[in-house]
Amino acid sequence: MYKLWQLFDPRRSLMTLFSFLMALALFIHLVLLMSADFNWLTTSKAVAPVSQMSAMPPARNIN
Amino acid sequence: MAEVKSMTGLSEEEAQEFHGIFVQSMTGFLGVAAFAHLLAWLWRPWL
Repeated sequence: MYKLWQLFDPRRSLMTLFSFLMALALFIHLVLLMSADFNWLTTSKAVAPVSQMSAMPPARNIN
Repeated sequence: MAEVKSMTGLSEEEAQEFHGIFVQSMTGFLGVAAFAHLLAWLWRPWL
């Protein structure tokens, strides 16, 4: 496997790999930040969807 | 006899040395990434 580096120039390979990984990471992080569910900066403002809420119990009459 | 050079100019020994560092670094990177994904999954599973 190490003979790979006798075919591909290590310097160019590393620069390409780092650039690709950086672009991919930036892209994924931006997509997540733009989504409502996975934005970690506005988590505190997130509200549970209606489907996860339970109905209030019926009111009791004392008299 | 002169050592036969490869396309990139790396000798077999140099290629082996670089490969060792490369694999070690990649393993470290993947480990950190896997741990980050685990934390993210615990925070909010996406599937």
